Amino acid sequence: MSEVGGLGQVPYVILGLYLVLLLIFGIVGYRRRQAESEEDYYLAGRSQGWVVSSLTIMATFFSSFALLGAPGMVYRDGVVFALFSLNVPVAGVAIYLLGSRIRRLGRDRGYLTPADMIADHYASPVGLRLLVALVGLLYAVPYVVIQIQAGGILSQQLFPGRDAFEIGACLLALITMVYVTIGGMRSVAWTDVVQGGLLVGGMLLAGVAAVWVLGGPGPFFAAVADLPPKSLSAPGTTGRWTPELLFTASLFASLGSMIQPAQWMRFYAARSSDVLRRSALIFAAVLTLCFFFGVMLVGLGGQVLYPLLDAAGQYRTTAAGAILPHPSVGSTPGEFDQILVVVLKNHLPELLGPAGVVVATLILVAIMAAAMSTADSNLHALSALLTHDVFDSFVRPGASQHLRMWVGRGVIAAVTVLALILVVIGHRSASNPLGMIVILGLLAIAFSTQLLPMTVDMLYLRRGTRQGAMAGLITGLLTIFLLSPFWGMVAGDAFGSLLASMKRMIDIGAWGLLCNTLVFVGVSWWLGGRQDPSAAHGSRSHVES
Amino acid sequence: MKALLIILFLLAVVLGAGPGIHLVNPDVTDPEATFTTFGLPTIYVWGLLWYAVQFGVILVAYFRYWNPDDE
Repeated sequence: MSEVGGLGQVPYVILGLYLVLLLIFGIVGYRRRQAESEEDYYLAGRSQGWVVSSLTIMATFFSSFALLGAPGMVYRDGVVFALFSLNVPVAGVAIYLLGSRIRRLGRDRGYLTPADMIADHYASPVGLRLLVALVGLLYAVPYVVIQIQAGGILSQQLFPGRDAFEIGACLLALITMVYVTIGGMRSVAWTDVVQGGLLVGGMLLAGVAAVWVLGGPGPFFAAVADLPPKSLSAPGTTGRWTPELLFTASLFASLGSMIQPAQWMRFYAARSSDVLRRSALIFAAVLTLCFFFGVMLVGLGGQVLYPLLDAAGQYRTTAAGAILPHPSVGSTPGEFDQILVVVLKNHLPELLGPAGVVVATLILVAIMAAAMSTADSNLHALSALLTHDVFDSFVRPGASQHLRMWVGRGVIAAVTVLALILVVIGHRSASNPLGMIVILGLLAIAFSTQLLPMTVDMLYLRRGTRQGAMAGLITGLLTIFLLSPFWGMVAGDAFGSLLASMKRMIDIGAWGLLCNTLVFVGVSWWLGGRQDPSAAHGSRSHVES
Repeated sequence: MKALLIILFLLAVVLGAGPGIHLVNPDVTDPEATFTTFGLPTIYVWGLLWYAVQFGVILVAYFRYWNPDDE
């Protein structure tokens, strides 16, 4: 067995133990099932307590973005991206304000998926159910792809050699698929407890390690103070993070991430409102600190250890002008995400000896945990969307619970394999279209944010109409598609400069939300005054009761 | 009190990671510009300050307004 990226055999042992533990949780989750029903498989019988709920919400919220994407973005753009951490307290508040109402309605009406509640409220069993399921797919598929890709990146750094990326991606995807398939929500939540703990510990440990490598807090911040001016100000090195763009991206990242299908189902699965109240507080306190005092410091330390400026004081760039990382970190603009792994691998063992190897390995396992915990939650939610919202509702409405379970498991296997193929093809193409983790993640969040106007209306305002909700959602999704890189692939440079300036102004999710809300309010107001209220507003009596 | 908390939280959201950054953002073209406060990057300190405000509001809301038993 060869040494692992300078870390000896320790990573093999710790990673192996971790993966075996996950499989055990999967089996235990299966054996502890209380019934062969969708409610048990997808919501663990709505019985989760506050420890499991808070850790599974955290683990689902923080993906490989937390340990690879965020430090990578600070490494590229500087301290301005550290302010992205302020989206976490907003998400914490959303857990209580949205989550507790979602939970109560879900329990009273027996909802399993977000589409159940929305389709019921607006009395749209076909149109809105399918649209909301589509939004879930648009969120969950990229998120699963990102996590599998993170497994590949990690493996590439740890096990250098031919096909290391593919082996890592396959390992992450297949083990996740196995325990989600057999155990459902119970296995996902229990593994999330382990993964959430690892994630929190790993994020803080990574920050401490980065500061330690540079000689402690004093020397660390003294070195940071000498970074290039662009690294210490907005809009950062690349000029991307204007305060306005940062504001909309961080605000809608928090809200969009909290109403995505996997989190929505975690609200349903909570035992009581108090569970979500406590989860909200723990989430806001712990995770923001993990960001500020953990991974964000890795990005700043990375700029000191692996400067973006060359010996002549110039930024390294591609022929097209895109900023490049230090050659020791990567050779393409998509490789800023590797900064944490590079810092750990190259500095900790040298600094701390055998203890450094163990610490570095634990943090690397935490990256794996971050990726797997988000992949499992999204695979599980995808299975619910395709099985409950499509198969049960339209293909075989009379199917037995047993058949539904097996269809759900088949969906998990099929989506995993599909995502894995996408990742491998993307990695092998000359210009990886899957690109940087943060960019792909923000696009997925932009899609899920489009559920916000309907969610707020359903839970608090109760003035929207079915037609308004559908028109608004379609408008929001089309706006995002128009502003996403996919539009360029389809239509070339049509509206090029207009779209580019819109994207520079605010986040594309915010543009989608703005258009969505205007159309939702406009159509609801117009139709609300012309129709019989009960017909226009759908079956909202459950909310009012 | 409830309204004050809501206003304070929204203010922290807008100022912390939003347009409020313009108030403390150093001008990179100014040779006299200072980029640190108390030895830390000014923007980082700004973020920590508004996090403290956000979390303070959440704590008060948790103990005074968020109902543990809203069945």
